[in-house]
Amino acid sequence: MRRAVAPLLAVTVALVLADSAVVTLALPDILVHLDATVGQVAWVLISFNLVLGLGAVPTAMAAARARPQVLGAVGIAVFAAASAWCAVAGSIDVLIAARCIQAVGGALALVGCLELLVAKWGERRGVAAWVTAGVIGTAAGPVAGGLLTQAISWQAIFVVQVPFAVLAVPAALAVAAVPEQEPDRHRPALRPNLTLALLSAALTAALFLLVLLLVQGWRHSPATAALTVSVVPIAALAAGPLARLLRTPPQVEVGVGCFLVAGGLVALAIPPSSHLAWTVAPQALVGLGLGLTVDRLTAQAMELRLPRARHAGWTIGARHVGVVVGLAILTPVFTADLQDAQEPAEQAITALVIDAPLRAEDKIAVARALGDELADQQGQVPDLHPAFASLDLAASEQPAAEQLERDLDEQLERAATRAFRDSFLIGAGLALLALLTVVLGAVRPRSRETA
Amino acid sequence: MSAAARALGLPVAAAVLVAGVIGVQLAGGGGSFEPLRTVDPCVERTVTSRSDGIEGLTERLVLLGVDGAACRLSVSREALTLELGQGGERSDAEIEALRDGLRDAVRRLDEEGTLPPASELVGEALDSADLNRFLKAAIRALPDSVVNAALKTDDVLLRTVDDLDLRELLGNLEDQGDLNAQLETAVTQAVKDSLADRVRDLV
Repeated sequence: MRRAVAPLLAVTVALVLADSAVVTLALPDILVHLDATVGQVAWVLISFNLVLGLGAVPTAMAAARARPQVLGAVGIAVFAAASAWCAVAGSIDVLIAARCIQAVGGALALVGCLELLVAKWGERRGVAAWVTAGVIGTAAGPVAGGLLTQAISWQAIFVVQVPFAVLAVPAALAVAAVPEQEPDRHRPALRPNLTLALLSAALTAALFLLVLLLVQGWRHSPATAALTVSVVPIAALAAGPLARLLRTPPQVEVGVGCFLVAGGLVALAIPPSSHLAWTVAPQALVGLGLGLTVDRLTAQAMELRLPRARHAGWTIGARHVGVVVGLAILTPVFTADLQDAQEPAEQAITALVIDAPLRAEDKIAVARALGDELADQQGQVPDLHPAFASLDLAASEQPAAEQLERDLDEQLERAATRAFRDSFLIGAGLALLALLTVVLGAVRPRSRETA
Repeated sequence: MSAAARALGLPVAAAVLVAGVIGVQLAGGGGSFEPLRTVDPCVERTVTSRSDGIEGLTERLVLLGVDGAACRLSVSREALTLELGQGGERSDAEIEALRDGLRDAVRRLDEEGTLPPASELVGEALDSADLNRFLKAAIRALPDSVVNAALKTDDVLLRTVDDLDLRELLGNLEDQGDLNAQLETAVTQAVKDSLADRVRDLV
C-alpha cells in the first residue's frame, strides 16, 4: 500500500485537472439527455473551471491552518462524492451544481496532494510529479471523456473517477510525516502565471473547439474524435525528452512552446479538407507546445516560492481562469460564425440541388425532403442523411442521389470548418500574446543589467 | 553543444516545423476549404436536363428564367430560389423579373435552336389534355408538318408565360396537382390563342 500512496495521489491530481475538459466530447450527449440548451450545457464546462480557478488561491490560504492529510482526504472525498452526484444528475441545473462542488473538492485535493507528494518524494520530485500529473490530466481529459462516452455513456466519465478517489482517501491519510507549513514569504510570480493564463486560453481552442469541430462540424463519433485528439497528449509527452536532448534554456523552451501552439492553431484554422489526417500535424505542434510550456511555467511560478501551496494555487487559478477567459472569448465568436455560415451553406446546397444530374421531379422531391429536415434541425450542423433515406427514387437515379448527398455533406463540412477558422486564429493570437510576455520577460532583466 | 547552439536549436527546429505544417496545409488548398461561392446569374450558362419532352423543356426554361430574374433583382439564383421556395406574398418586382426572365429564356432557347418543334410536344400534351377523345385522335392524325406550320413553339411558350398567373403559381408550389393544372390551363389557352392568331393572319 505504501508504494501505491504517491502514485494514487498523482492520479488524483491528473483526474481533477482532466475534469477541466473531460466532458467536452460528452456535451452533445448531455445536451440531449438532460434536455438542455447549448448555453446551459456550456456551463457544465465553465462552472468547473470558474470555481476551480477562483477558488484555488483562497483554498490554499485556508489550507495553511489545516493538516495536509486531512485537507487532501476531505478534498478527494468531496470530489468523489460530487463526481457520483454528477453521474446521477437528472437535470442540467443539478449537474452544474454538482460540477461546482466537484471543483471545490478538486481545489482542496490539489492543494493537499501537493503537500503530500512533497512529503513522500521530497521537494523537487514531489512538485515535478504534481506538475506532470496535471499536464497529463489536462491533455488526456478530452480523449478519456470521448472514449468513455462512446463506449458506455457520458455518466461513465464521472463514475470511473469514484473508485480512484475512494482509494486515494486512505492513501492521503496514510502519509506520515508532512513538513511544517512555511510562512508567507513571496509574492505571486506574475509573469509565469500571466503566460500560463494566456496559454490556457489559447489551448482552449485546441482542446475544446477542435473536438466540437470533429463531432459537430465533421460529424465524427466521440470515440473517433477522442482517438484523433489523442495526438495532443502523445506529442506533449514527447516534448519533454526532446527538450532534454537539446538542453535548451527554460525561457527559450517556453517561448518556443508558445510559438508551436500558435503555429498549430493557425494550421488547424486552414485544413485543406475535412479528412482527419489534416489535423494530425497541427495537433502535434499544439501538443509539443503544451508539453514545453505548461509544466515549465507552473514550475517557474512555484520555484523557490513559499508557501508552496499558495503559489500552486496561483498556478491553478491562472490556468483555469485562462480556460474560462478562452471560452468567454471564443464561444461567442464561433457561435456567431456558425450562424453566419448558415446562409452560404444553404446557398451552396441549393446550387448543388439545382445543378444535380437528377430528373426535375426528383430534384423537387430532394429539395422538399431537405427543407423539412433542415427545419427540424435548426441550431446545429444538420445531418442530411434522413432526408435522402426518406426518398423513393428510381434505381437509375440512386447513384446521382448518393453523389449529391456526399457533395452536400462536403458543403456542410466546408461551412463548419470556415465557421471555426476565426476562433482558431484568435486562439493563435492568444498564444502569441503569451509568447510576447515571455519575450518581454527576457528583455527586461537584460535592460536592467545594461542600465 | 555551445550555449548559442542550445539556445537556437529548438527555435530553429520549431520555426521549420511550423512553416512546414502551415506550408503543407496551404499547398493542399487550406484556406480555400469553404462553401461553394454563388455564380453571377447575369453570366450566361448552359443548362441541361435529365428529363425529356415537356418536363425537360420546362426545367431548362425555369432554370434560365430564375437566372434572368435573379440578374434583374441583383441577387444570386440560389438566394432567389430559396426565397421563392419559402412561400408567402411575392412582390411585383419579383413577379415582373420572373416573367421577363422566362421570356428571355424562351427567346434564348429559340435563338440556340434548342426548342423542339411543336409536333414533338403535341403528343405528350394531348395525353394530359382534357379534350374529347375523337378530337385527340383527329389531332394525332395530323402530319407533323401541318402541326409545325400551325403552331410555333416559341410563340406558344411566350403566350404561356404571359398568361401564367405567376403569383398564384408560386403560392401553390407545394401542391403538384394544382401546379400542373395551372400550367395545363395556361398552355391550352396559349395554343388556342396562337391558333386563332394564325387563322386570323390567313384570313
